[in-house]
Amino acid sequence: MLSRIADSLYWMHRYMERADGMLRLMKTSYILSFDKVQASGMTWEPALKIFTSLNQEEIAGLKQNNSAALKYLLLDTKNTNSLKVIITRARENARGVQDQITKEVWEQMNLIYHQVNQPGIAEKLSGQDAILIIDAFINSSDQFCGILDSTMPRGQGWNYMNLGKQTERCLLTAEFTHFYFKKTGFDFKNEQDILFWRSLLLALSGYELHLKNYSNQHHNYNVAQQLLFDKNFPRSVYYALDRANKYLSDIAASNPVEGSIQLSRSFGRLYSSVKFADLELVEREGLENYLTYVRKELNEFSRDLGRTYFSYS
Amino acid sequence: MTGEALFNNYPIVPHIWDEMKSNDGIRQQYYSIYETGSQLSLAELEQKHKLASELFMSQGITFTVYSENEGIERIFPFDIIPRIITGSEWNHIEKGIQQRIKALNLFLKDIYNEQEIVKDGVIPADLIASCPHFTREVYGIKVPFDIYVHIAGIDLIRGDDGTFYILEDNLRTPSGVSYMLENREVTKRIFPNLLADNNVRMINNYPLLLHDNLVHLAPRQNANPTVVLLTPGMYNSAYFEHTFLARQMGIQLVEGRDLLVDNQKVFMKTTAGLRQVDVIYRRIDDEFLDPLVFRPDSALGVPGLISAYRKGNVAIVNALGNGVADDKAVYAYVPDMIKYYLNEEIILPNIPTYHMNNDQEREHVFKNMHKMVIKETNQSGGYGMVMGNSATEAAMEKAKENILANPRGFIAQPIIQLSTVPCLIDGKLQPRHVDLRPYSLCGPNGIEVVAGGLTRVALREGSLVVNSSQGGGSKDTWVVDMPNQ
Repeated sequence: MLSRIADSLYWMHRYMERADGMLRLMKTSYILSFDKVQASGMTWEPALKIFTSLNQEEIAGLKQNNSAALKYLLLDTKNTNSLKVIITRARENARGVQDQITKEVWEQMNLIYHQVNQPGIAEKLSGQDAILIIDAFINSSDQFCGILDSTMPRGQGWNYMNLGKQTERCLLTAEFTHFYFKKTGFDFKNEQDILFWRSLLLALSGYELHLKNYSNQHHNYNVAQQLLFDKNFPRSVYYALDRANKYLSDIAASNPVEGSIQLSRSFGRLYSSVKFADLELVEREGLENYLTYVRKELNEFSRDLGRTYFSYS
Repeated sequence: MTGEALFNNYPIVPHIWDEMKSNDGIRQQYYSIYETGSQLSLAELEQKHKLASELFMSQGITFTVYSENEGIERIFPFDIIPRIITGSEWNHIEKGIQQRIKALNLFLKDIYNEQEIVKDGVIPADLIASCPHFTREVYGIKVPFDIYVHIAGIDLIRGDDGTFYILEDNLRTPSGVSYMLENREVTKRIFPNLLADNNVRMINNYPLLLHDNLVHLAPRQNANPTVVLLTPGMYNSAYFEHTFLARQMGIQLVEGRDLLVDNQKVFMKTTAGLRQVDVIYRRIDDEFLDPLVFRPDSALGVPGLISAYRKGNVAIVNALGNGVADDKAVYAYVPDMIKYYLNEEIILPNIPTYHMNNDQEREHVFKNMHKMVIKETNQSGGYGMVMGNSATEAAMEKAKENILANPRGFIAQPIIQLSTVPCLIDGKLQPRHVDLRPYSLCGPNGIEVVAGGLTRVALREGSLVVNSSQGGGSKDTWVVDMPNQ
């Protein structure tokens, strides 16, 4: 596989995963914004904090204004992480590898692109239809994953794409978790009620699982356990790294180039530090340090991956 | 309005050949279109038109207009009424094109080797020497099977008496074949029964024929040679076509930065290391291919590519230097080439062409400027063209100045009234001018002309300029075998 193609596939799926994560967080924020007394009182703050580079003052100006926040997050091209920009980048990557993805995937990618560029979308976001628009995007994003799964051949391209997806997913979960736990001072003993955690869990599609599997006390511990280590939760840090580990080993096995062994080794260290950890250890080391370590290592891994397999320019 | 009224009210323009209708009524090859169309309402036809546009849009068959950091997607306009050519007309066209490509191939071989045709005085030496696309850098390079023109898109037009003329030869990197193929796919969706009922000849074997030819050119003895399509990248207006062809042929789509030359061999950079490339179907112009030989500022090409080509370690399609054969001034000599190399008379006639560096011919053109079209000899895509019947006085004067400054850079031809076909515009069927670009593939097993080609249509009323860059659209093109022929 051409290095350029591998690079584009990796980033195409990373961007799509980021869009997906953002949309879910926005939907939660939007719905919660209608509750008069919101448990966390944060409304758009998490989305603006995580997905934009606005300063505290600018965020304060936007966070109580639904349509302004929505427009900035979804459509503003000055915001380099807006949905529109992310989707455009994903599509540019897809366009560059059009012959390597199936026609169905390309058409879905295109559909989403035209969806975000549809005429009159900005007006609709100010009115009653905003939630319909977000829902339609989430739906398209789900379809994108489904179409990938049912049409893309398994092989090199598949491995790179999914490695990108899982890398991004792991980073998003770590960032969301970081943001919410920061409000508690990263202190497991600083108990918050379930309403505080509900928006985080909803944004990661993990609320139902939480209600089913975890007890109704020690929410801080339970949430951390689910988001970091739950083997059955598809957005946990562990799950994402475990999948990434599989795709990386497949890649390394078929591309024995210089540097691939070192790359597998350094990823293995990160993976073990999650696989063989538990909350006790995390509490001892400090949740903040732990999350920062995971994010830093993962970002470095992504950079080294590029150096090892994508160096074509 | 009913479809019947639409068809019955279709006007034909006097002294212009219309493909669907003559003074005696609908031509036989259009009967079934007429019948089907008559049974539909205008609303249904317009619905089909809308469906066709949506199909192009959703498949990303678009080009992007960039403005202020935002790209706007446009589709090339498509008209749903097909252009129909009868089987016997087509057989004549096919023979004519095969003859022409055969001669042009021999010419290219000759001109980059012995240059007999110049020595024998058939073509003036200064005409070749002054051609900007005569490429000295490839002089003497041997190409596989002596084939230079692997893919040709020769443009034809039809005059007022129904005669097909050759308008120009495109022998470098002719584009548009993906539109020919996609137009047909769209027609299958909007008029599913018509195609089968009419015995329309098949076109979708084009990518297979091309792939077959490309594989044959591989210099290494290898059962599975590496064939790639080299694109300038996704900002090129024909990028959709590049991805389309790569996908249809199952070959890698590469950019210049994916390739490198080592020890006069070409390699592509993969995640598993370097892999040798045998055949390059390039969609990049000659001058950008190799910065070491041609334009040093080209970022699209591959440094050292020409050295590998000269050594015979890689085949490049089409060959380099073909521009000397589709130069608009050299065009006038193609009938002589056919006589010289094949000892045959030309089957599809040229349009009379006046050379502007001949004083008498230039005088004649200047006197009759309003009946002439002026073209730049090394331009394509409808750029640099002045139509004498519609240009302003000022534009004509400017053209004269330009010609006097560089007479070799221009030719003139009498304006031919292109034939018309019906198009669905503003709720009416209206006649619009068309040309025809059949695509030909030349391989070791001979020359195949895919039945049909791309019909380009000038959508503005009365306009004779069909290029997509100048407001043109396209139509599906059918070759139909009539039962009684």
